[in-house]
Amino acid sequence: MNTQIRKSLNRYHMISKKDFATSGSIQQTAWLCLAMLATVGCSDFEASFSISENTRSLAAEAQNGTGESPGVIALTEEKFGNPQSLKAWTKLPVNWGGTSVSVAAVGSDGDAGTSGESAEVETADATETPESGDNKVTLQVPDESISLPNTVSSLLVSSGESAGQSVAVTSWDASTGEAILATKLVLSAGDQCTLDAGKGLQEGRVLYMRHCSHCHGTAGDGNGPTAQYLNPRPRDYRHGVFKFTSTNDMSRASRNDLTRVLRYGIPGTYMPSFLLMEDDELEAIVEYVRFLAMRGEFERKLVVELSSDYSKDAMVSRIEGGETRDEIVEELAEFLELDMPESVDYVGNDLQEIWTAAETEEARVIPTVARVPDTAESRRRGRELYLSKTLNCADCHGIDGAGNGPQTMAFEKNPITNEKYNEPGLHDVWDNLNQPRNLQAGIFRGGRRPIDIFCRVYSGIKGSRMPSFKNTPHEDIWHIVNYVLSLPFESDPGATGSLASSEVAGGAEAGD
Amino acid sequence: MNLSTLLIWFLRLLSTGLALYELVVGPLVNSVLADVSLPLLSDQVAGTKWFALIFAVTTWASSEKRFWALFFWYWPLVALWACVIAPGNNWWFPSEPLSRAGHQIDGLFYMILIIVAVTFIGTEFALGYALWKSAVRGKDDKVWFSHGSHRLEIVWTIVPAFILVFISMAQLDVVADIRVLNRFPDEVQSGPVAEVMARQFEWRIRYPKPGTELMTTPQPGDLYYVNELHIAATVPTMVNLRTQDVQHSFFVPRMRVKQDAVPGLIIPIWFDAEKAGEYELLCTELCGWGHYKMKARIIAETPQQVSEYLTGLQADQEEDGVADEE
Ligand SMILES: [Cu+2]
Repeated sequence: MNTQIRKSLNRYHMISKKDFATSGSIQQTAWLCLAMLATVGCSDFEASFSISENTRSLAAEAQNGTGESPGVIALTEEKFGNPQSLKAWTKLPVNWGGTSVSVAAVGSDGDAGTSGESAEVETADATETPESGDNKVTLQVPDESISLPNTVSSLLVSSGESAGQSVAVTSWDASTGEAILATKLVLSAGDQCTLDAGKGLQEGRVLYMRHCSHCHGTAGDGNGPTAQYLNPRPRDYRHGVFKFTSTNDMSRASRNDLTRVLRYGIPGTYMPSFLLMEDDELEAIVEYVRFLAMRGEFERKLVVELSSDYSKDAMVSRIEGGETRDEIVEELAEFLELDMPESVDYVGNDLQEIWTAAETEEARVIPTVARVPDTAESRRRGRELYLSKTLNCADCHGIDGAGNGPQTMAFEKNPITNEKYNEPGLHDVWDNLNQPRNLQAGIFRGGRRPIDIFCRVYSGIKGSRMPSFKNTPHEDIWHIVNYVLSLPFESDPGATGSLASSEVAGGAEAGD
Repeated sequence: MNLSTLLIWFLRLLSTGLALYELVVGPLVNSVLADVSLPLLSDQVAGTKWFALIFAVTTWASSEKRFWALFFWYWPLVALWACVIAPGNNWWFPSEPLSRAGHQIDGLFYMILIIVAVTFIGTEFALGYALWKSAVRGKDDKVWFSHGSHRLEIVWTIVPAFILVFISMAQLDVVADIRVLNRFPDEVQSGPVAEVMARQFEWRIRYPKPGTELMTTPQPGDLYYVNELHIAATVPTMVNLRTQDVQHSFFVPRMRVKQDAVPGLIIPIWFDAEKAGEYELLCTELCGWGHYKMKARIIAETPQQVSEYLTGLQADQEEDGVADEE
C-alpha cells in the first residue's frame, strides 16, 4: 500500500519536474506559434479548380498523363489555367475583355513607323537608349465609338511579326494613345493589339469569387462551402447546362439568359437577385460563368473520350479479360500522344460552335403566333391539352397542377449507373431529386412572363425531366400557358367545375 | 517609477507633441513648403489644437495628484464640445433625416443626447471635484470619513426616475405615429401600394394590378419585381411587410425606417421620401449566411413616373416574345 502511494507520488514528482523543465521551451513554442500565426495570416490564399468526379473515375494514368503526354487534368489546365492564372483559349467564344487597338506609329513622334516598315522597339535601357522615344508606340482604336482606357498595364499583340507576345506597358497616355513598352518587341504600323487583354475575365473572376463561389464553387461545380445548406442545390455549371433559357431545346444558354437569372434571381430557390450590380459587373460575371461552363464541359468531354477504355472500372474488366496493366497503359500512352491532340481540337471546335450558336437568332425561341387572348375558353383548351394523352403534363405535375403526378411516386433509374435511386421521384442530370413544379404555388423559377412559360414548354427545362414540346403547335402552347398562369388563382384546381368559375376572372382579364 | 507617473509622462509627451504639431510644425511646414500638405486633425475636427494645448499645459503645470483631478475635469469639456460639434459633422447619423418620422426620431435622439451629456458632465465634474479637494489637502490634514447621505441618495434615485419617465412619455407620440395604424397619415389610409416580401436573400416586391387594391394573397394581374421598390416622393407611402422564411428587418437608413419582418405576420409600415432619388434598403436582422446580400433600392420619383414605371412593368410582364406588328 505504502509503496504504491510512494510510487505514484514519485511519478507525480517526476512528471511535475519534467513539466517544469520544459516550461521554458513551452514559452518559446508559444512565441513561435504567434509568429507563425502572424505570417500565415498574411500569406495569399490560393484557389484551385477542383478535379471532377468524372475525371477521378479514370485510371490514374489517364488523369495525370503518361510520360510526355498530358492527361485530362493537365490538358484542362493547359487550356483554361487555374484561378490564379487564367488562360484564354482564344478559340472559345468568350469575351475576354480588354480594348482592341492597332498600331498607328512606332517610335517617337511618329517619324519611324508611319510608313508601315517594321521597327524594333528597344527596351528601356538607360545606357544604350537614352531616348525613351524608341520604346514608344502610338496606338489607335479601330473606330470612334470605342475610347482608349484611362489606365493600361499590358499589351498583347495579335498580328504581325510579334503576334502572340505580351508586354508590360510602363507608361500610358490615354489622350494620345502613346505607350512606352517595357520589353523589346518588333512592331509595325497596322499590327492588331489588345490592351489589357483578359481584363474582363479577371474582373469576372474577382466578382465571381466574391459573390458566387461560396455556393457555386471555385470551379463552378455547385459545391461551394454554403452549397450543403441549400435545397435545391446550386447549379453545377460543368455540364454546360442551364435550366432556364430562351433558346431552343438543343441550344446552350445565351448571355441574355444568364444575365436575366443574375438580375432577377430564381424565385423558389436560393439564387438571389443581383439587380443592384452594375451592367458591366454582370457582364463580367456572365463571361466568367460561361468560361467555367466551357471548362467543365471540356473536361467532361475529354473524359468521355477516355472512359470507355481507360476508366478505373474498364481497367479492372480489361485486366480480368486477360490484358496486363502495362499493355493497357502503353496503349493509353499511344492514345494520349497520337489521338488526344485531335480530340482536344475537336472538343474545342464543338464548344466554339455550340456556345456561339446559343447567341444567334436561330437559337432563340420566338413563337410564330402572338399569345392567344387569355380567355376562359383558352384556359379550358389549355387544360384539355394539359390532361391529354399526347402531352400528358398531369403525369408529373398532377391532375390539379400541384406537382404530385404519378411519376413523383415512381422509382427512377439513374441513366448512367442503371441503378434505381433510393428515393422515389424525378431526378435531373445532376442526380438531384428534382420534383415537378407545383403550378398552383405561383412561383415560376424561370420567370412569370408568358414568354417564359412558353419557353419552358417549348424547350423543356434543360437538365431536368421536363421535356421539350417543340412539336406542339404554338397556339396550343399558348393555351397551356394561359391555363398554367391561371392555376394559382383557381379556387378548386383540378375540379371540372373550376373551369366555369374561372370564366368570371377570365372575362375581366381579357378586358385589358 | 509607478504606473501613474509613467502614464502622466506618456500623456505629457503625447499631448505636447500633438499640440506642437497642430499649432506650430504642421501649419509652418504647410505654408513654407508649397508641395507638402501635412494632414491636420484640426482641419477635420474644429478645435482639436486648443484641446491639445489645454491638455499639454495642464499636464506640465500640475503636480501628479492635481493632474488626475484636472484630468477628470478635462474630459467633460471634451464631451461637451463633441456634443456641440457632432451634428454639424454628421457623426451620429448616415445623413440628414429624409422623412417625417426621420425628423421626429432624430429629435428624440438629440433630446436623449442632451440629457445624457448633462448627466455625464455633471457626474464627471463632481468626481473631479472630489479628487481636487483631496489633492489640495495638506499633508497633515486629518482623513474624513463619510457614512453616506440618505437625502442625497433619495435625490439621485428620484431625479433619474423622473428623467426616465419623461423620456418614455416624450417618445410615445413618435412611436404611435410610426407604428399605430390609425395614427398613420391620411395619405396612406387608402391602403398599401405594394407588398414587400423578404426572403433569404432578397426583397420580392408585389404591386397590385394598376387601378386595383393590394390584396394579401396574390391576384391575377399583380406586378412583380425584385430588389427595387418605386414610390412617389414627398407623399407618405404604405407597404405591407412580410417574410417568406425567417425573420428579416426592413431598414432604410436615410428615412430612419426600421421594422422587423416576422414570419406569419403582415406588418403595414409607412414612410415618405422627402427628396426624389435612390434610397438604400437593407436587411438589419442577421438572417443567414447570405444576409449581406440583402440589399435593395427604393426609388422615389413623381407619381407620374411611378405610374409610368408600373405601366412598363405591366407591359414587360405580359411579354409574349412576339414583336408587335399590329
Ligand atoms: Cu435578411
